[in-house]
Amino acid sequence: MNTGIAERGWSLPEAASAPSEDYRSALRRRLFAADLAVVLCWASTAGAVALYLLSGGVSQIHSKADAVTALGIIAGLAGTNLILIMLLLAARIPWLDRAVGQDVAIGWHRRLGKPVLYLILAHAALLTLGYAATDGLDVVGETAAFLSNRDMILAYLALALLLAVVVTSLVAVRRKFPYEAWHLIHLLSYAAVLLALPHELSYGGVLAAGTVERIYWIALYLLAYGAAAWYRFAKPLLLSLRHDFRVVSVERLAPDVISIHLRGRELGRLGIAGGQYATWRFWSARNWWHSHPLSFSAMPHGDLLRITVRGAGSGTAGLAGLRRGTRVWFEGPYGLFSRHARSAPNLALVGAGIGVTPLRALLEDSRHSGGETALLVRASDESQLYLWEELHTLCEWHGGTAFADVGPRSRATSSWLSADAVRRGVSLQSVFPRILHSDLYICGPGPWAELVAQEAKALGLEDHQIHLERFDS
Amino acid sequence: MRTRAVLGGVFSSAAILIGAWSLSGAPKAVHVAAAATTTGTTTPGSGTASSGTSGSAGSGSTGGASPAPSSTASAGKASGTYTGSVVSTQYGNVQVQVTLSQGKITDVTALQLTDREGRSVQISNYAAPILRQEVLTAQSASVDTVSGATYTSEGYLTSLQAALDQAG
Amino acid sequence: MARLVFTSMGTVISVLRPGPELPASLERAVREEFTSRDARFSSYRADSELSRVARGDLSSLTAGPEFRATLHRALGWEEATAGAFSVRSPDGILDLAGIVKAEAIEGAGNILKQTGLHDWLLNAGGDVLVGGHNYGAPWKVGIVDPEDRSKVLAGIELLPGQRALATSGVSERGSHIWSASGRTPFSQVSVLAPDIVTADVLATAIMAGGHRTLEAACSRWDIDALCVTVTGELLTTPRLRLQLQVKPTHDGALPTSA
Repeated sequence: MNTGIAERGWSLPEAASAPSEDYRSALRRRLFAADLAVVLCWASTAGAVALYLLSGGVSQIHSKADAVTALGIIAGLAGTNLILIMLLLAARIPWLDRAVGQDVAIGWHRRLGKPVLYLILAHAALLTLGYAATDGLDVVGETAAFLSNRDMILAYLALALLLAVVVTSLVAVRRKFPYEAWHLIHLLSYAAVLLALPHELSYGGVLAAGTVERIYWIALYLLAYGAAAWYRFAKPLLLSLRHDFRVVSVERLAPDVISIHLRGRELGRLGIAGGQYATWRFWSARNWWHSHPLSFSAMPHGDLLRITVRGAGSGTAGLAGLRRGTRVWFEGPYGLFSRHARSAPNLALVGAGIGVTPLRALLEDSRHSGGETALLVRASDESQLYLWEELHTLCEWHGGTAFADVGPRSRATSSWLSADAVRRGVSLQSVFPRILHSDLYICGPGPWAELVAQEAKALGLEDHQIHLERFDS
Repeated sequence: MRTRAVLGGVFSSAAILIGAWSLSGAPKAVHVAAAATTTGTTTPGSGTASSGTSGSAGSGSTGGASPAPSSTASAGKASGTYTGSVVSTQYGNVQVQVTLSQGKITDVTALQLTDREGRSVQISNYAAPILRQEVLTAQSASVDTVSGATYTSEGYLTSLQAALDQAG
Repeated sequence: MARLVFTSMGTVISVLRPGPELPASLERAVREEFTSRDARFSSYRADSELSRVARGDLSSLTAGPEFRATLHRALGWEEATAGAFSVRSPDGILDLAGIVKAEAIEGAGNILKQTGLHDWLLNAGGDVLVGGHNYGAPWKVGIVDPEDRSKVLAGIELLPGQRALATSGVSERGSHIWSASGRTPFSQVSVLAPDIVTADVLATAIMAGGHRTLEAACSRWDIDALCVTVTGELLTTPRLRLQLQVKPTHDGALPTSA
């Protein structure tokens, strides 16, 4: 006890301890993989265009109309290449999850949405204009000519679907669209991309039989659809059947917070890391149509597993009525909010409200590394200190400290701390004296978590030291 | 997104496209105009694109690495060492020297250390268990004041001390 | 028995004097010892020197001499107790509340002595410093039972050489940030010492540092201690044990009137 307090003093040098070497090499590998993923996205898109250039596409330009057509083809090639990359980014590929995390991959996927739509729209518009000029027709006439071709009808259908997918996504981001409806429409993008395939292979002769381009594109299609089919559908199904999770009990922690205890087979083979989540589907009459991304709130113990959820969404409220024995399917575990992302010797955890659940599992899964561990939980009142007893027991086990910052938020300044803590001058640096040599795990509502991350960045933490999980419930 | 990834992506894409472009042969109409112009436009063109990216990335990393704003902010804060007062213990004195850097305490050094050898002599002053009953029977005499963990002004109202103060 | 009771530093201060009321000027001087320090060191006032230093608005070097003297005295104690007594609260914020209150009691005690008063008792939020006697008898301080704060656990006489008694425990003073970890084996620690700053600092240090600090403090300073463990057991030093055990028993229900 005495030494613990002495170590928290400011007079000790902030020396990094020996195991940081292990963290560093793991971090280097991970960052390399992440950068490689980005480079591959760029390079493959350039490669798709380069293959067109190499096949002599540009050398056949003799007129303005040819140039417009060539630009349209390039837009189509780049757009389609990026769509397939989007499918790969959303395919839950384990290598990608380990390198950048599923949330970051989905973030990239989202950012590509609009540019891809513009490229595909430009593709349609430019080719219509280019062909019309070459054929001496007007735009309407050229469109009519296109529509006489079966492959082109499918391509127009694909374009319409793509528009629907991107537009609903933009609306869904603003939360005006029910999640399940959005998700269903979103799955249509798989159909859209497939519907576009025939015209790519047949029309215009760009991907004519026997060319390298044709081989490249078919390979890319197979890769994207194969990855999606395996990792998003087949593998989760097989894992769900193998582990055969059933609801054991539902435990109420607070009026709107429940823990669901599950029993399954061969849990060791799941390879769960504390802090990760899975997407759960409970096969009860009220819940089967809805899947829930929920963090593990404890590591597996024997054949038992626990997830904790606050019932804010319309779907999660129904989970309280789950009966013993209900079959549970899942996809996962996913996420880099775990010990796999460690890069520094000390561990600093900050959570708000129900955001403590992954931190709880992360603490349990963290090894003694010679570094310090400290946790700060933010709650507006004591009734929102979920799992507090477990959290501070785990912190104690690590020889660390658990802090609770309870009270209303500051109204004058935008701070992630309570008004009282702000007045007293509490900061990340004061609570975590070794923050610069720490991995900072933040979990809570998006805007709140951003404020914590901003303060950490202002202190000089590197991006790879900050691990953020948003809980927007 | 990391600078290395963006630069790698831009350069690899540029290399692939330029390679393909030069291998495929530029459009004949332009090619006829002047070979020199073609290379002239492509090279600076790609040069601008890449230097533009690396330039912005470079300035971005400079801004993040050099603590220009923080050094300005802390310019007015004091640095130096300060010797504290002597705290006497039974067997010697403790005095500390405090080092400050830009207003923050960076080090504390003990100038005078307690003679720790005195410890073994005095170890007989060791706190040992005592039964509650022994104390309880012994303590029941009246007291003049009460000592407990610090009470707040509000807590005082219900404290034993308040009862004593009122009685007086 | 004359009594002066007033509020400062977020707690209540009681001054006892066997005999007539204190002169008004002396009362003012005693109050001033507390209120002037409160203005400078309060962590509850955003404009106090302490708050400005804690926020980094003011360097501790350019703060006033009184501020620096207290800070460095506290730093000396932190060094002497190997960090068990800390100038910072567990969340890392500069917090001198403990030592500041003790210094105020010390200052008020000096004023009473300088005016020629022999017999007096000062109690600030449970920390006690006495001078002289209570109508010829030793001043007697009751230690609150942490398990039932309406009861007294023990009565301790403050004899010459041990004029100060401070008790540290799970404080009533609620901070919105608290730590659940790093708990010590004690629920309450009372320290008897020649001066109030030593008593207060070491009670805080032992409370935070547990058995190791208790042993170290008892061997290095001329103090006595009465500790209550979280399981309700009592620990005490030999000298205090003698005092606690041999006292004859009277019927002394609380409250008492002198």
